[in-house]
Amino acid sequence: MVIGVLTAGGDCPGLNAVIRAVVSRATVTHDMEVVGIQNGWDGLMDDHVRPLDRNDVRGILQRGGTILGTSRRDPYVHGDGYASVRRTIESNGIDAVIVIGGDGTLRTALALQEEGLSVVGVPKTIDNDIAGTDLTFGFDTAVSIATEALDRISTTAESHNRIMVVEVMGRTKGWIATYAGIAAGVDAILVPERETDLEEVAATIRTRHRHGHTYSIVVVAEGCESPGGQAVSAGIDAFGFERLGGVGYAFGAELERLTGFETRVTVLGHLQRGGTPTAFDRVLATRFGVAAVDLAAAGRFGEMAALRGADVVGVPLAEACAEVRGVDPALLDVAQTFFG
Amino acid sequence: MRIGILTGGGDVPGLNPCIKAVVNRVAHEGHEVIGLRRGWAALLEHDPDDPASAEKWFLPLGPNVVRTIDRTGGTFLHTSRTNPSRVRPKGVPAHLAHRIDGDGPFDFTDHALRVIESLGIDVLIPIGGDDTLSYGLRMHDEGVPVIAIPKTMDNDVHGTDYCIGFSTAVTRGVQFIHNLRTSTGSHERIAVVELFGRYSGETCLITAYLAGVDRAVISEVPFDIDKLGRLLIEDKHSNPSNYAMVTVSEGATLAGGEMVLSGEEDAYGHRKLGGIGELTSALIKERTGEDIIYQQLGYLMRSGSPDSLDLMVATNYAVMAADLALEGATGRMVALRSGTYTSVPISATREGVRRVDTDELYDVDQYQPKVRHVAGKPMFLY
Repeated sequence: MVIGVLTAGGDCPGLNAVIRAVVSRATVTHDMEVVGIQNGWDGLMDDHVRPLDRNDVRGILQRGGTILGTSRRDPYVHGDGYASVRRTIESNGIDAVIVIGGDGTLRTALALQEEGLSVVGVPKTIDNDIAGTDLTFGFDTAVSIATEALDRISTTAESHNRIMVVEVMGRTKGWIATYAGIAAGVDAILVPERETDLEEVAATIRTRHRHGHTYSIVVVAEGCESPGGQAVSAGIDAFGFERLGGVGYAFGAELERLTGFETRVTVLGHLQRGGTPTAFDRVLATRFGVAAVDLAAAGRFGEMAALRGADVVGVPLAEACAEVRGVDPALLDVAQTFFG
Repeated sequence: MRIGILTGGGDVPGLNPCIKAVVNRVAHEGHEVIGLRRGWAALLEHDPDDPASAEKWFLPLGPNVVRTIDRTGGTFLHTSRTNPSRVRPKGVPAHLAHRIDGDGPFDFTDHALRVIESLGIDVLIPIGGDDTLSYGLRMHDEGVPVIAIPKTMDNDVHGTDYCIGFSTAVTRGVQFIHNLRTSTGSHERIAVVELFGRYSGETCLITAYLAGVDRAVISEVPFDIDKLGRLLIEDKHSNPSNYAMVTVSEGATLAGGEMVLSGEEDAYGHRKLGGIGELTSALIKERTGEDIIYQQLGYLMRSGSPDSLDLMVATNYAVMAADLALEGATGRMVALRSGTYTSVPISATREGVRRVDTDELYDVDQYQPKVRHVAGKPMFLY
């Protein structure tokens, strides 16, 4: 059996750990061959593949990025679906493709599966918002980086008696904001799952001030609607360009206006998704890679590796694609206990 | 003897260990230290006629008070950019309000001197950058015994080769740039990384040098955006992973342009910087068609705990400052010159800010660090 493996979408710490696990599990345990598909769906459409053996994946476990490269092209947007990848599949004798990607990529994988390609998915996002799995790899690394940044910024905020607004990733859901916010003990967490009452946040901060805590840390998920629900733009700069800065700037300006306290904004941005994965993410990514190969060996195509409780299992890709998973309201309540 | 200590301006890693070492050294010799809260603001805000205000603005410091402060970043005395010689009307405290006449700014140095006298402070140790120390120099000129300790991430105080905070800023910068490499490479983009550095591009230059980024644009040298775009495209194409990185000082300017500023002037006549990285990103994208990863490192460079070099320098500056105070050798700033701990007259800070020697360290044509003649240079090259 020949297995193809590809990574698509945004960078995520642990991608190389999955690739390594796929290659080792397939070649050592199942006596399969593995080919690496370069630059995500691009490689499958343009026939850029290369054989991978264990020597190709030695030493990559702890490395960030992906040795296969990635892209945001898609066979359904930039091609005509299965027909645009069939040539690569057939000329390389690929029996099944392990697709490592986020919800968009997994939807494409599911569509190709329905057209007849044998696919196994591995969920990938630092945002942790893919349904069907309790956690995704890369999330723990992102939370660790965000928490460390919040810890450090707290001392600066305290030194300067300021409000610090820190914008973290989370395009549609507030997982990183919630976890890092709880871990760092911040004073407010703003997530898309709950409507934000900035008056309430300002009141909390004013109360802190009255009690002598003259600084506050506010975490904002980038996917939040900005105050007043306007489009997410921090305005036009002096040269007429729209500011690339996100919703954090809008919240920062509004909080400064409401409280009268000096406010600064930090956007963590890409710092959260680069670099070396945490031990937890390396283990989860390795387990996902192993499970994906085992699913392929068992002929369980159209499924993806997923963490359920303490176990890694196979779940239907359709389940993962059905919805974007938000933070459990109970966890948001836990976080709220410590605000102020 | 009673020594007053304060921290002013932006926080940097190493301030708390510095305060702790001063207190321990002075206490060991049987003298007292009093902490001034929020930098020079303590001398402005304190009302000697209101005993309650002393508690708010001053903190007696002994070994037990400072025992654990070195374990966290920031400054536990807090800081501000208050300058008692340039106070705007809205910054005038209630007890001085009766003296306001006109729009200001007002000089309340006489009040600051009265506060120093009322507290019985014999020697003042300000820890700060060029702005904070410029008021230290004013105090010195007014006859107050002062010993200055230089701190700033930009490493730009005149009279010393090194200021507390610089090493940690570079350490963080290099680490973040390496973390950004995987995302930039995976997506085959151009990364624009903006670093602190208002008038001096040293933080940007040295970080670029040590992280091995492709290009660095610094505050000292206005850059041609078309040329920068071309160079970055060449860099990207010659990189096997097909990406390129450029660091930008926040004070950098486009050729023919001005600093990108926002907000009102503060008490030292500075407005907030910010925006040149975004602007550069937008212009490079427009010129090259390449997608950009833009990242501002900002507060992440100067927050948190010091690395071992900053801890070393902060502690040694503190011990040296305490020794000078105990000897009565005031009017000095502790310093590193040619790798050796020393002190210089505090008037050395009057020179303004130090800037990168672009002839020696920077290729103005290629927008790259250019380090050739290392022998004889200080540890951080200038």
